Amino acid sequence: MKIQNRRDFLDTLVRGGFLTIIALVGGGLILRSRKSGNCTLNIPCDNCLKADECSYPEAISFRQTVWQLDPSKCIQCGRCATNCVLTPSAVKCVHVYAMCGYCDLCGGYFKPETRTLNTGAENQLCPTNALKRKFVEDPFFEYTIDEVLCIGCGKCVKGCGAFGNGSLQLQVRHDRCVNCNQCSIARNCPSGAYRRVPGNKPSLLKGYAKESPSINVKKVQV
Amino acid sequence: MKTRILIIGAVTILLVIIIFMARDLFLTRPKIESNPFEFEMDDLKKSDSSQIAYQEIKQFKPGLSEIYGIAVDPLDRVLVSGKEGVEIFTPEGIIQNRWPTEDGALTIATDQKGNIYLGMPDHIEIRDSTGRLIKTWKIPGEEPIITSIAVTDLFVFAADAGRKVVYRYDLSGTLLNRIGEKDPQNSIPGFIVPSPYFDLAPDRNGFIWIANPGRHELEKYNYEGKLLSKWGFASVTVDGFCGCCNPSHFTFLHDGSFVTSEKGIERVKVYSPQGDFKCIVAAPESFEEGTRGLDLTVDAHDRILVLDPVRKNIRIFVKKVVQKTDER
Amino acid sequence: MKFTLVFLLILMQGLHVSAIQRFPRPEFESGYSQPQTLVPDPRASILAVLDVIILIAALSVVTWLVLKKRSRMGVFLVSVVSLIYFGFYREGCVCSVGSVQNIALALFSKSYGISLTILAFFTLPLVFTLFFGRTFCAGVCPFGALQDMVAFRPQRLRSGLNAVLGLIPYIYLGLAVLYAATGSDFIICRYDPFVGIFRFNASFGMFVFAGLLLISGIFIARPYCRFLCPYGVLLNWMSRFSRKHMTITPAACIQCRLCEDSCPYDAIQIPVKQKNPESKQSRLRKFIRISFLIPLLAWAGGFTGSLLHEMLAGVNPTVRLAKQVMEPGKDRSLPETFEITAFRSSGKPAEQLFKETKVILDEFYWGGWLLGGFIGLVFGLMIAGSMRKRYQPDYIPDKAHCLSCARCMDYCPVKS
Repeated sequence: MKIQNRRDFLDTLVRGGFLTIIALVGGGLILRSRKSGNCTLNIPCDNCLKADECSYPEAISFRQTVWQLDPSKCIQCGRCATNCVLTPSAVKCVHVYAMCGYCDLCGGYFKPETRTLNTGAENQLCPTNALKRKFVEDPFFEYTIDEVLCIGCGKCVKGCGAFGNGSLQLQVRHDRCVNCNQCSIARNCPSGAYRRVPGNKPSLLKGYAKESPSINVKKVQV
Repeated sequence: MKTRILIIGAVTILLVIIIFMARDLFLTRPKIESNPFEFEMDDLKKSDSSQIAYQEIKQFKPGLSEIYGIAVDPLDRVLVSGKEGVEIFTPEGIIQNRWPTEDGALTIATDQKGNIYLGMPDHIEIRDSTGRLIKTWKIPGEEPIITSIAVTDLFVFAADAGRKVVYRYDLSGTLLNRIGEKDPQNSIPGFIVPSPYFDLAPDRNGFIWIANPGRHELEKYNYEGKLLSKWGFASVTVDGFCGCCNPSHFTFLHDGSFVTSEKGIERVKVYSPQGDFKCIVAAPESFEEGTRGLDLTVDAHDRILVLDPVRKNIRIFVKKVVQKTDER
Repeated sequence: MKFTLVFLLILMQGLHVSAIQRFPRPEFESGYSQPQTLVPDPRASILAVLDVIILIAALSVVTWLVLKKRSRMGVFLVSVVSLIYFGFYREGCVCSVGSVQNIALALFSKSYGISLTILAFFTLPLVFTLFFGRTFCAGVCPFGALQDMVAFRPQRLRSGLNAVLGLIPYIYLGLAVLYAATGSDFIICRYDPFVGIFRFNASFGMFVFAGLLLISGIFIARPYCRFLCPYGVLLNWMSRFSRKHMTITPAACIQCRLCEDSCPYDAIQIPVKQKNPESKQSRLRKFIRISFLIPLLAWAGGFTGSLLHEMLAGVNPTVRLAKQVMEPGKDRSLPETFEITAFRSSGKPAEQLFKETKVILDEFYWGGWLLGGFIGLVFGLMIAGSMRKRYQPDYIPDKAHCLSCARCMDYCPVKS
């Protein structure tokens, strides 16, 4: 090593010091996620925070985390529609068909004081006609959501939750979400329903795990 | 000179930006805003207090973490089934006995002898009052959900929300017939049960009444399964059944009046034996928002006992004493 | 242990089935089959790897252009490409500037695991800067590229003004790290001025913010980079000790003074002739004064920070909720906020909320000491630095503040 003068020597020393710090911080953060007591679990699990005993190995990974909202905490305040940086919002209503009762008088479709149960716009709760009703067979009707029209306001979610089975739920759709480092909706959610989830299991649909295929995380023997 | 102005101007803009950033960060007050997409349910939950003819006199809290079903035995004791087991109380709410069960029984009923029938999702357990298991009846079919049981002198009725049918057993456990299966030829429309609330109760005249929640009706069948009559309609007004599937539970008063409970707009009401709305027992204000599963029973003194699964207590309602105003 | 876990897993499956209310499935007779609930996948993770590859490529190319090729045009072109890719295509997120917050959160939070992409975005520019100077600022950062394009009439600022305004990034960095470490908010992302431009979608406030910054950027070149960017603080430190920083002249400086007014960022150090060398006594006095002043300033800053800790903590959402819950209903006629409604329906007891708030306030108390102490220390060091007289004969870039934009190189007549 050519030491020209004292200045250069000090510079090299400090440079080495900075490099060491960077290596320690970076390496430390990588190792931390593997050790017991620290994990990246952000899925509907028991939240034991013990990476070694995890029965969801997909959770321990370095995937980019994405934002998702927990429907069990959601109070349908409407901020999902207004706070997203995208217009229309990346939050949409999602229908968990396995939980739906296929009712004629759908609590999420119809305004409560509706007299005739038809698809007239004056009867619908949805402000954008995104929730579609289709006759299947007597007495069942299928309700589907047109995501292009849905603005994520949560009116149907509230109605379905109050009068029905709660099969309509708000969720962030990741084919639209740009995955901001800090989600604007998350910052303004009054119930703190937003959290980061691993990118390979990006849904937090609440319901019956066995019948909601999207939260069918494989449990393995530890 | 010109450069001076430009510098001062640009630096000022920069400082203004920083001041606004700091203000936004530290000095924003919580917003009181209204949701532009609000689904107004408050009006639906208002009720006319002159129609409330009952008052709550007492509550008592079982020690179970979650409570599902309530019943009254021939000795007027109150039985509550919950997640861990069954607890038995005196009519005043003092705990007398408790015993555990493996699963939480969704519904509970008693017979004349004081035997207890527990409705587990896929089987019925018959136990005596000490909790000793006498018998287990397996429910046929796949994925049954037993939501209600009733016992008469000779028969046991069980409502299966999974198969949407009511079974009639004799006391030894032999399945005699199914009631309410869809049969267009005999003009039986079939039950619509979108959510796991499906209740039944026998009346005093030898008929069985079964709630058809999807049609917002209470239907009367004879024991062989013939549909005799029905009443009820869908409405958010106080005289109808609201939402998609109500009433969630019902039972009878001693004069044959119906006591019904609903979810969505949480309320307990009384209807005449002919199905005309009479009065409100408990209005939505008495319950937490989103309460569902208000199981009901009536004791020997015509007191209405309501199981509140959110507050996790048993609430007792009695008819208000009307003060007669003497006007001479 | 394994057996108990497996047994528990099996049992949990069974318990799961009966504990949750089951939804009776409608029986369809017409052959209708229930559709599946679809969950779309987010951006493929391989594309994140691509981002890191392009970052490395851009850093390498810019460094080569600045140090070897010495081409301003080349640096400019790379900055345009970076603006298009990292700015308009990736919409400015995730970026190195914000990655500081992710690191802070990962260090202090139990349940956040940082992704390798963000780690790369944090460390790679630092490492490159540690060896080659702030070439990241020159041609890779989309913010810098955008501001560079509007710097039409850059004015020279006096060194005093530069120094005072130069304190702001330290405060911003300190606050950003404090809020990220406590899990309160990512304020760098919140006050990101240019993301609205990159997305072609901004609220009115964001639009005004960006507009004002760009207008001021016409006359003060790169205002965000020099007087706001928190990552720039780290790059500043790395660059001071960089091994091979860019030089204005490719060979020896001939003091022709042609480059004196060439830097829009006031980052060229002009020669300082060695006058009467300072007496040892005067140097000793200065040293003693400094060694009192710096700790004093650090302590004063820390103390101020601790006094302000409640105001600082007001950014944390739990603390804000606790304040709302505690406030006696001032005006009953006003509808309650959604936060209160949500808190009530969550069923959480108020005592638990207040306990959590106390913990957070304690964190902010120590954080306030550290933040204030840090800023006080920086202030003291700044004063110490200004008191030092450094003799140097040539025109050289100020390693700390030079953004390696390579404009000055075109002014130098020395050709090798």
